[in-house]
Amino acid sequence: MAQALIVKNLDKHFGGLRAVQDVSFTVQENETMALIGPNGAGKTTAFNLIMGFYRPDAGSVSAFGREIVGLRPHDVCIHGLARTFQVAKPFGGMTVLENVMTGAFLRDRHPDAARENAREAIAFVGLSARENTPARDLTTIDQRRLEMARAVATQPRLLLLDEVMAGLNPSEVDQAVGLVKKLAERGLTIVIVEHLMRAVMALAKHIVVLDHGQKIAEGTPTDVMSNPEVVRAYLGASGH
Amino acid sequence: MVEIVAQAVINGLLIGGIYALVSIGVTLIFGVVKIVNFAQGEFVMIGMYITFFLATQLGLDPLVSLFVCMPVLFAIGVLIQQFLIRRVLGLNDLPQIFLTFALSLLIINISLMLLTPNYRTVHTGYSDEALHFGGLYVPVAKLIAFGVAMLLSGVLWAFLRTTDLGKAMRAASQNREVAQLMGINPNRVFAVALGIALALAGAAGSLLMPFYPAYPMVGQVFVLMAFVAVVLGTLGNVAGALIASLLMGIAESLGIQFIGADSGLIVVFLLLLATLALRPSGLAGGRTR
Amino acid sequence: MKIAPRAIVAGAVVALLVALPLVVKSSFALDILIRILLFAFIGTAWNLLGGYAKQFSLGHAAFFGLGAYTSTLMQIDLGISPWIGMLAGGVAGMLASLPIGWLCFRLRGPYFTIATIATAQVLMLVFLKLRDFAWGAEGTTIPNLGNAPLMMQFDGKAPYYYVVLLLLLLALAITAWLERSRIGYYLVALGEDQDAAEAVGIDVPRVKRDIFMISAFLTAMAGTFYVQYIYFIDPNTAFNFSISIEAALVSIVGGVGTLLGPLIGTVLLETTSALLQSWLGNLAGVQVTVYSVILMAVILWRPTGIMGFLAELNARRRAKRVSS
Repeated sequence: MAQALIVKNLDKHFGGLRAVQDVSFTVQENETMALIGPNGAGKTTAFNLIMGFYRPDAGSVSAFGREIVGLRPHDVCIHGLARTFQVAKPFGGMTVLENVMTGAFLRDRHPDAARENAREAIAFVGLSARENTPARDLTTIDQRRLEMARAVATQPRLLLLDEVMAGLNPSEVDQAVGLVKKLAERGLTIVIVEHLMRAVMALAKHIVVLDHGQKIAEGTPTDVMSNPEVVRAYLGASGH
Repeated sequence: MVEIVAQAVINGLLIGGIYALVSIGVTLIFGVVKIVNFAQGEFVMIGMYITFFLATQLGLDPLVSLFVCMPVLFAIGVLIQQFLIRRVLGLNDLPQIFLTFALSLLIINISLMLLTPNYRTVHTGYSDEALHFGGLYVPVAKLIAFGVAMLLSGVLWAFLRTTDLGKAMRAASQNREVAQLMGINPNRVFAVALGIALALAGAAGSLLMPFYPAYPMVGQVFVLMAFVAVVLGTLGNVAGALIASLLMGIAESLGIQFIGADSGLIVVFLLLLATLALRPSGLAGGRTR
Repeated sequence: MKIAPRAIVAGAVVALLVALPLVVKSSFALDILIRILLFAFIGTAWNLLGGYAKQFSLGHAAFFGLGAYTSTLMQIDLGISPWIGMLAGGVAGMLASLPIGWLCFRLRGPYFTIATIATAQVLMLVFLKLRDFAWGAEGTTIPNLGNAPLMMQFDGKAPYYYVVLLLLLLALAITAWLERSRIGYYLVALGEDQDAAEAVGIDVPRVKRDIFMISAFLTAMAGTFYVQYIYFIDPNTAFNFSISIEAALVSIVGGVGTLLGPLIGTVLLETTSALLQSWLGNLAGVQVTVYSVILMAVILWRPTGIMGFLAELNARRRAKRVSS
């Protein structure tokens, strides 16, 4: 199977803080991989590096055979990567439909086509009833759905989901997990950053664990969960 | 030749002290409240007019008026925070930019209506005196202004470093969410920031009167200098604003001396544009937001 | 179903505007109307960058002045018609927006605004110094050729009215078209959240640059018109800060990011100004005081402006209808 994302020796520091240190992992096409670790481990930074919001100090990222370090976020998106943000960033003044259309426009500049594609993405996440609601009036979970729809509308090959489960109640989590599974069924390669173990277990066969910016474990859920380093990292972190 | 340069440097340094008071206020407000106070110059103007009226009606020396101006303007700052700025916090750029911009226009134009565009000056015993060091000519009024400006800057510096409230302001400036989590009351901190910034502007007004005329639009010149100094010194950085202000005073003065009498403004603009082109985050680095 | 009534109303309004000079003959009234249309035009141009994309420029006078000087120089030095000069001025403004944008977009938010103020001021200072090339601080009048339509000079005010009306309709048409197109969505998106916009594939710097060029082009054309209308140019008039202010003001009061906001804002502000002038004469500071009070009121209570207020009323009305 082809490799969707190859991250090699990724390094980023902010002043004295080494946010990401020598991180490497590979994501296969159509795989769902989870990036986990205690707070501040560098997971969102890794996303920002991959998507081009930050420039790494060292290392390389290649997606679908192309080196993407140095590309600006919009070029990365054109190349087939999309992301959601940990704290949702909807275009507040636009309606749900208009929000998702901005994503859809990437692949087809005609408003009618974009509208149709957007409607599809909106239906997929279950927001059709709110199509004309201004995004700033949505509930938190609906804003999350909107983030996902907007990202999906860009027709990505690789989707980076940043803590989509945060703050959801159990039934909402089930819905979200269902959505991610459906996306995987569509052939998308997915990388999720997640704290909620239940969701991680349900979605990912391949897990990478970060702590203090470094990769401390990688493997199947069973491998990772029984790894003493991982246990220590989480227990140690929760001692704060 | 050296003397001419030295004289220009002295002139620039002295006026730079005033610029510093204005720009520190702007950068303090920006750092803590995250708003650019377009009206900062108008509070300098208000300070000048208060000083003028106290001098002409009560015969008060501007340095004495300082002790009136500063508290009055502090209070105005707190009121502005309470009734105006608080209402646009958390909103996007448009209200935040145009509120203080509108305030600036309002103050200038009400002054035009009530006070007329005429220049007002205050003449003190020391307005015309100067000290002579070697071949250098140091006007007393400007030297006093510089001295007091540096003193006030020093006091502010100490305040920010040592007092709880000062530290709270620095915390809010660096990371508002964390500061709030630590129990710091943002409104109180913002009110104090506004108060201090306006008090400094008012002080600048008092210090200027012995050697600078007051008129409704006088603030515009100073606020422009302040903005450039704030960008140059890095947004939110008080020390940076101070140093940049002094540098700009010197640059302006050198420009006037060697290029032409009306070139001061162009030199300043060129400095701004050069900063934007080469190092938009200012001398101290940091973020451009 | 939604489009038809709007088109009818729009058509009626345009017809009304076209017919107006046939009814209104007073030179004084026509002058006010021309001012309204001119500033609505400038405001609409500003709105593209400032209203939709939320890049709040207070330096649009830079382009106004460049347009004014370009056409005047071409006319006086080369004898070229201001009609062509207007287009050339537009191009000059557009070209100027490239380095100006490159510089100013390096800052965000209020500091972008300050940078634009600075660039307009620099241009004024430069033109104040250009004695040999461009008449310096004294400026110049353009030769009065009587009725010379080919040189954009007319007897009576009505023809000027139609010229500026055409410009306004052009700007409105461009805005309406952009609103519905991909760029329109991209503008609003980047105005709301630049990072999120980048994440969905929007080339934010390029979109900003493109809209700045269009905005500058149109604003420069306004400069040409103005010189032709008042037969005079000098740096203080051409690059005056008040032009930059009014461009932003009418859009904010009328409703940023809406098609008709700038027009409505201009009508409100200019009629207020005209009324003030007739009551109080030309008392220094009165007009701008009133303007700034209106601006503050809008910002504190209705940042979405008049159009936003109307939209809200409309939404409430519709919600009531649904629930009843």
